Amino acid sequence: MLKVPLSVDERWNLIDRISKQTVEFGARKHTLKDAIAELTVKPLTGIPVAIAVLYGFWSFFVDFAGTLFTDGFMVRLFDEHWLPWLQSVFPGGLGNPFYALMVDAGHIENGVLVASDNCLESFGVLTSGFFVPFGVVLWAVLAFYLMFALLEDVGYLPRLAVLVDTVLHKIGLHGYAIVPTFLALGCNIPGVTATRPLETRKQRFLMITLLSVFVPCGAQIGIMQDLVPELMGWIFLTLVIGYLGFGFILNKIVPGKSPEIIMDVPPYRMPMMKNIVSKLWIRTSRFLLVAVPFVLLGCLIVGLMYLTGAMDWLATVLGSFLMSWFGVPGETVSPLIAGFLRKDLAVGVLGGLMEQGIMTTFQVFTSVVLLCIYFPCLATFALMLKEENWKEFLGSIASLVAMVLVYGGLIHLVGVMLGVA
Amino acid sequence: MGHPNVGKSVFFNRLTGAKVFESNYPGTTVDFTKGWMHLGGEDVELIDVPGAFSLEPKDLAEEVAVKMLEENRDSVVICVLDATKVERGLYLALEIIERGYPVVVALNMWDVAEDKNIRIDVEKLERILGVPVVPTIAISGEGFKELVSKIKEATPVKIEKIIENAGGVESAAVSG
Amino acid sequence: MNEVEEKFGQIYFAVLGAVALAFGAAELIASAGEGFTWGILDSSGAADPMFLPWRAIILLSAGFFYLSSVKNFAEIHQLAKAVLGSIMIWIVAGMAIWSRIAGSIPGEETWFNSLEGFLASYAPPYCPEVFLLPFSLVVVYYILKEKEAG
Repeated sequence: MLKVPLSVDERWNLIDRISKQTVEFGARKHTLKDAIAELTVKPLTGIPVAIAVLYGFWSFFVDFAGTLFTDGFMVRLFDEHWLPWLQSVFPGGLGNPFYALMVDAGHIENGVLVASDNCLESFGVLTSGFFVPFGVVLWAVLAFYLMFALLEDVGYLPRLAVLVDTVLHKIGLHGYAIVPTFLALGCNIPGVTATRPLETRKQRFLMITLLSVFVPCGAQIGIMQDLVPELMGWIFLTLVIGYLGFGFILNKIVPGKSPEIIMDVPPYRMPMMKNIVSKLWIRTSRFLLVAVPFVLLGCLIVGLMYLTGAMDWLATVLGSFLMSWFGVPGETVSPLIAGFLRKDLAVGVLGGLMEQGIMTTFQVFTSVVLLCIYFPCLATFALMLKEENWKEFLGSIASLVAMVLVYGGLIHLVGVMLGVA
Repeated sequence: MGHPNVGKSVFFNRLTGAKVFESNYPGTTVDFTKGWMHLGGEDVELIDVPGAFSLEPKDLAEEVAVKMLEENRDSVVICVLDATKVERGLYLALEIIERGYPVVVALNMWDVAEDKNIRIDVEKLERILGVPVVPTIAISGEGFKELVSKIKEATPVKIEKIIENAGGVESAAVSG
Repeated sequence: MNEVEEKFGQIYFAVLGAVALAFGAAELIASAGEGFTWGILDSSGAADPMFLPWRAIILLSAGFFYLSSVKNFAEIHQLAKAVLGSIMIWIVAGMAIWSRIAGSIPGEETWFNSLEGFLASYAPPYCPEVFLLPFSLVVVYYILKEKEAG
């Protein structure tokens, strides 16, 4: 007599019987789609295709967000119309604390306080606080999610996962890790959530830690591309090396297993306009809801810290450490503070410092990389608390601190050796 | 319920008009979403759950799916199968049937199965399982009307009955 | 596809592949230096020098894909290589065109570009991929043929 529930073998046995009677596999002829699908996962042909796809992704991103919207329209709108208009109508004027917080803090030039001529330098809630999310970041996020939705719906992502599988195995991850990584390039939050299908706690821990440290979000990438387009190649290279290198080390240190995950590779499909548009809408509006309040708040906090002199105090206190360890000037404290709230804002603050011409190219490079890796933004931080248990969370934080100190120092060292620092 | 990337979220969006992410790769849904659909004049709650290979969860996303199933003991389960991989899908469907849930089986991606020259005898499958079986193409919405109309026909089936219909089952020892 | 079509495809994609390889090699050499502009052919990577070596790699691979598809061209797995080669050219050329579109809409001093400025944005020189684009479209004919047969 049978016992319920059935054993695994019995169940398969039953399925075998059922399918024999009901399913018929006809002669199977390969279609063109199958042949293409095969070619895109074989390394020899798949890697060139992946390069082409990523090339397309990146150039679309740059031209849509940078050339067309930010440089084409937004910079003009904010710097030539919005900022001058506010400077003329806002009560108070240069030197007034409230005016400085809201519109323009100005900066000292030859001992005289002068007004800013762009929305990054001005550093007011109404100027930089609006320019960063609406002038730069929104378009970057939109471009990213449009391309991403296309890749998702066509079914290319899992194929990329198959291609990078061997490399990622070396760092204790699986090809599937490409999905959270890619998502995190849009925003780290969905990236962290997408680690749930990973099977062991070790894999999730590795993935979440690496994501929050080495993967910059779309908002951040957008504003980096706007400020230092010529450095982007080096920045990404540095981050990829860090991601793989520290993944390798963490995999050796962290106890636990990282077993194989079986992932199905779906067939290629024609993407549907409606689905793409609705995804684009949901993701972009979610971004705005999370980002805008934080950016405004960040502007206010950094502004207040400047006004009260707290920022100068921090810059002097931490200056020598920052200079000796990372090779960046004490002023970098302000973007680092802003970075606790939002990374895009932090890069924006850095942009303001760059305008003042107090940093060398290599210092800019180091600071941008440091901003990427030193702390996940507040929203990601909160999510990590939720997704990991407290032991893992402390582990993440500890490895984060270690990675920043080691890697930041290493970058400085390499710079010194190459003679560029 | 169903395996990852068989189109559960597409079903859910179609049936409730909600907007859950649909993507062409496994593991898009990692949490559950509730929505409402009309069924014969009344509003019925529908839950979209992450994909699962079996009821013994192996990761967090599967845990969510199994937990939702256990928390809703009196619900009808729409079991979405990939028509090109019926055997794998049936494993999960049988597990759910064994636990006493009324089930409707949707054979999704029917178009892909046709492309691959896989033919499934729906009526016979329906007779053996004793539950409604509907071929569907979620992306274009084919088969949805039939699926919805059959939700009410779903009743719990005893696994012994299915075994009898399938012509008996060898014990594991013999088959092993 | 019939024999004539197969023969034509073989010769056509052999030539196209060779041209793509030559262009790709030229771009690779160009990317090592400052790049060059030769008549209406632009391999300067003026917009972004970082892109040039990648474009060269993609174009070279597309050339190889075409050439390797020639033998036994009618066979589906072989045809697929030619299709992929074309898709890669479409991506690069498409992005080059998109880049022009994006740059052509906003003006230098005004919000929107003047008509002359707008049209001037589309003047040559073009990158090699754009020149190859129309020729790569021939593969569409074979895709449609294949669909009919399947």
